[in-house]
Amino acid sequence: MSAALPEAAYAVALSLSPAVGPATLRRLLADGAPSATWARASDESGQTAEEVAKIWDDHVRRGITVLLQSDSRYPRRLREDPEGPAVLFCLGDPGALEWPATVAVVGTRAPTRYGIGVAAQLGADLSAAGVCIVSGLALGIDAAAHEGACGAGSPPVGVVAGGLGEPYPRRHARLWERVAGEGVIVSESPVGARTERWRFPARNRLLAALSDVVVVVESRHQGGSRHTVAAALERGAPVGAVPGSIRSATSEGTNALLAEGAFPVCSATDVLVSLSLAGVEPAPFAVSENPEGATVATRQRAEPASEEERLVFAVLSSDPAPLDDLLRATSLSLPALCGALERLARSGLARDAGGWWELA
Amino acid sequence: MLASVTSATLSGAVGRTVSVEVHVSNGLPGFTIVGLPDAAVREARDRVRAAVLSSGLQWPLRRVTVNLAPSGVRKAGAGLDLPIAVGLLVAAGALSPACTEGLAFCGELGLNGSLRHVPGMIALADATDAPELVVPLDDVAEAALVRGNTVHGVATLADLVRILRGQAAWPPPPEPKRARRSTTEPDLRDVRGQILGRRALEVAAAGRHHLLMIGPPGSGKTMLAERLVGLLPPLTRPESLTVTRIFSAAGAALPETALFERPPFRAPHHQASIVSLVGGGSWSLRPGEVSLATHGVLFLDELGEFPIAALESLRQPLEEGVIRVNRVGGTVTFPASFLLVAAMNPCPCGEGVYEGACTCSVATRARYRRRISNPLLDRFDLVVPVSRPDPEDLLSRVPGESTEAVAARVAAARSRAAARDADALPVMAPEASDLLSTRLREGALSARGLTKISRVAQTLADLAEEDEISFLHVSEALSLRAGTAAVVA
Repeated sequence: MSAALPEAAYAVALSLSPAVGPATLRRLLADGAPSATWARASDESGQTAEEVAKIWDDHVRRGITVLLQSDSRYPRRLREDPEGPAVLFCLGDPGALEWPATVAVVGTRAPTRYGIGVAAQLGADLSAAGVCIVSGLALGIDAAAHEGACGAGSPPVGVVAGGLGEPYPRRHARLWERVAGEGVIVSESPVGARTERWRFPARNRLLAALSDVVVVVESRHQGGSRHTVAAALERGAPVGAVPGSIRSATSEGTNALLAEGAFPVCSATDVLVSLSLAGVEPAPFAVSENPEGATVATRQRAEPASEEERLVFAVLSSDPAPLDDLLRATSLSLPALCGALERLARSGLARDAGGWWELA
Repeated sequence: MLASVTSATLSGAVGRTVSVEVHVSNGLPGFTIVGLPDAAVREARDRVRAAVLSSGLQWPLRRVTVNLAPSGVRKAGAGLDLPIAVGLLVAAGALSPACTEGLAFCGELGLNGSLRHVPGMIALADATDAPELVVPLDDVAEAALVRGNTVHGVATLADLVRILRGQAAWPPPPEPKRARRSTTEPDLRDVRGQILGRRALEVAAAGRHHLLMIGPPGSGKTMLAERLVGLLPPLTRPESLTVTRIFSAAGAALPETALFERPPFRAPHHQASIVSLVGGGSWSLRPGEVSLATHGVLFLDELGEFPIAALESLRQPLEEGVIRVNRVGGTVTFPASFLLVAAMNPCPCGEGVYEGACTCSVATRARYRRRISNPLLDRFDLVVPVSRPDPEDLLSRVPGESTEAVAARVAAARSRAAARDADALPVMAPEASDLLSTRLREGALSARGLTKISRVAQTLADLAEEDEISFLHVSEALSLRAGTAAVVA
């Protein structure tokens, strides 16, 4: 049975050894075939061939692709990286990692609504413009960016710290599935690896290595995004930050980054500009410029049907407005306004945002 | 000698007949009260003695035993002073037993022999089964609400003794006071702008829909809530009796006419104890704010700041219209059918509705929202976002529509609803039911939500004086509940 195991199985077994970190693993695997290295180390570790087979089965059963640097599917960006992981675990299509333009959207795990809104908007707009969104699938900004990016056009990439066996954090199980379905989730930890603290900054390094540009949406003073930013700067990738209120604790980190020279990100266009500065062009994609400057994918639009609907449609904007404001702006009665809004919503022109209304 | 006099005591908001037995015998002079008296009843001995002496009567220098039957029921309050004094005078031979036949007595005694007000007189008058009832002059109007002209008011113990001895006649009942329409009730005219908030009030009043307003501080939530009561129709006779009974039992001040004609408005503070909200007390069970708001409006400002246990205790009254209070002293059921109006900020900092202005973290906001459980949120038919009024509206000299005008529409809608067959299915235009089924399919509406939207849409049709629920009514009903998303999201 052990004879049938691929070389990658031995590499996985080696990566599970508690004494082996990313750097050691890289050195070990550079020396020769993983099976030979494993045979040398097995005297010391006491790992049997059966155990290797079991670990391998575990990965295969969960549909996890294991990429060694020798594999042709191993991503170009990591192969060129001095610290590229020797073994990369993927859930989903590893081809997404080769997407021509990739942008990391990262930030705090405890954002404000402002941060969530901006992250989701950037995720959606960039993805629609043909940019692959890379993020950490953590709570807060990371998740918001992916929520926006999913289904918007380009494959999302999630970079996580732990093994790919179980979604982490738990409550992102659905998002996890969507990202793996539309794009790929990668990790350098095998299934069953202990989630030690060092794996999180290590994940941030991997995230920076996979991205052409890093955008920080909201970050506290000394937040975890600093690791990602430092790793990006080491690799010469441009770093952008979304400006925030000087009174908001969640914008302290990003405002400090701006002061240190990060480029300001006020719309997806800013990021697209920096991408071409970084030498990459987004994938060709049907995009059109709308008057506000945000790039959105073209879509067939319906027309407001009645006079009232036209009146209401004219005062709606992409900023949600309360009914009271719309009443004042249109001078319609409440039933007439509500009816017109519902009809606009039915034809896909307006959207209800918790009692406030905006353009769809 | 033995004497027995009929009276009543208060248990919760209900009276119970008490028979006061007084026995005067030879022995060392003394005065004992038995039969589960509370502290106020036990102290009656000193008040009764002083009152009898100051009325120019003799105090029997013998052994006096007072028994309050049934002996298993707790007797509370000073209302038993008068029957004890009368029983004592009969037992001591100062009055003939025949002259108290067919009479019941309730009243507190002052040391000078004057008769004082007793709380809960309506319930007490209800409970006494004697043909005629003697009460302090102050309480005649209240007792007469349920007993008509079989009530006699007396000013002092000395007067009563003269009447019972046949030396004087019962004084004529005091002139009934005329109700004065209070001019201080807040008017909707003072509310500028706030089209959505005003409309929500109108719908809440017309269909008795519970209302939750969500908005930043200073947007006028409290101002709106205070004006809801003015839109409600005056109380019917049975309703006003219920309201008066509860206020009377709680010892609260009654209006001059003794009878409440306007629906009550209660606004307990969020630091109010649960007992003061739902009612209770260890022995003498008193009605709480939820009962005092019966047939009126219960306003909970800063809903998110109320203790979770207090909010959950509202679920029974909201469902059944009554509240059961279980204590060592027994179980009492108080009426508690009110229109619930609540106001809350969208988040702890209050600025949540304004994009970018909120400084709360998502976790803080989530914690704040968790305080309002979904079952409680489900009780609100109307969940309306209230935004700060536009400065132009505030400075405009044009007053808003007056309470009187809106109340007229509410009354018309209510009579329309009352005239409709309650079991008949609502008539809904095809376009309207299409909209509802689309929302159901999208998962934006639950089955319970659907019922609520239909009910509100029916009220809107009533307000518009239309027989069929149209697309516009359903759209508006959806908008008047859309604030739920702001709380649940």
